[in-house]
Amino acid sequence: MAYSDKVVDHYENPRNVGTLDKSSTEVGTGLVGAPECGDVMRLQIRVNPETNVIEDAKFKTFGCGSAIASSSLATEWVKGKTISEALAITNTDIVKELALPPVKIHCSVLAEDAIRAAIGDWKKKNNVAETEGAAVAAH
Amino acid sequence: MNYFEFFSLPRKLTIDVPALEKQFYSLSRKLHPDRFASKPVAEQEAALAQSSLLNDAYRTLKDPIARTQYLLTQEGVELEEQSKSATEAARASGTEKKQIVPPELLEEVFELNMQLAEMRAAKQMGEDEPELRRDLMTAKDAFDAKMLETQAELERLWADWDAAVEAEDPGLREATKDAMVALLNKRSYLRNLVRDVNEALGV
Repeated sequence: MAYSDKVVDHYENPRNVGTLDKSSTEVGTGLVGAPECGDVMRLQIRVNPETNVIEDAKFKTFGCGSAIASSSLATEWVKGKTISEALAITNTDIVKELALPPVKIHCSVLAEDAIRAAIGDWKKKNNVAETEGAAVAAH
Repeated sequence: MNYFEFFSLPRKLTIDVPALEKQFYSLSRKLHPDRFASKPVAEQEAALAQSSLLNDAYRTLKDPIARTQYLLTQEGVELEEQSKSATEAARASGTEKKQIVPPELLEEVFELNMQLAEMRAAKQMGEDEPELRRDLMTAKDAFDAKMLETQAELERLWADWDAAVEAEDPGLREATKDAMVALLNKRSYLRNLVRDVNEALGV
């Protein structure tokens, strides 16, 4: 099975690899994993408290090329979006963008989970209701 | 016909493996191609099909993990797909998806992967890092021990499952099913980790 050019590009030049300060109230951290393949993915966002815009995003993923590409793309996509816009990103969007084959769909699911977990963590830290922003599904 | 039915077994997880083995050999003899050499082709083919079903059924049921996985799929659990549908349900309702892997385990997995990456990088530079090696050894022992624990945990869940089948208790059935899925997931993580650590340590 060959990887698409976009996957190879993200794999060879991953965007936004790194760490944000986990203890900051502006930072949300999502740590998720796919047990079947042993992948583990950490995605972090820094949210502007005034505008609710995600100003920075970092990731670190241990896993296959598709998992790395999915999380790299996820950080690119969430940057500049508001929390509710970021919540509207779906695994299907990621599959389409990276042309992932069916056996790699779980990588895109993992990336969506990572985004949602990071946002969930940020919401908890900032006492935002869990369901807030979920209704805005347009993007 | 499912594998349990093939061996006339109830859909329970605690299995008398030596008895299963006996039954396997006796059925194997009955279905041996030599006994069908002079029979019509249709009968030969039927025996061959039975024989291959017998082999699959035996191989699956004698192995604790394969048996548990098989039962779960028979119960309609889609081990791979589950994650996607759960994500979609969480998005639709705006709630947080329940993680199938405990967060503490994920933290450990992440940390260990960082150490493994360091170890590999050091190796590439032709250096050996005794401290790193020691840390990895300690981690390896801890994960080996956890693997053993999951075995014991799995057997406890089998007992719960068998009790639920016997008592026809749908609540306990569902709860046990979920717990088994979670445990199998945890186990695959551990197995992958132990493999990676062994590789990095060169053992």
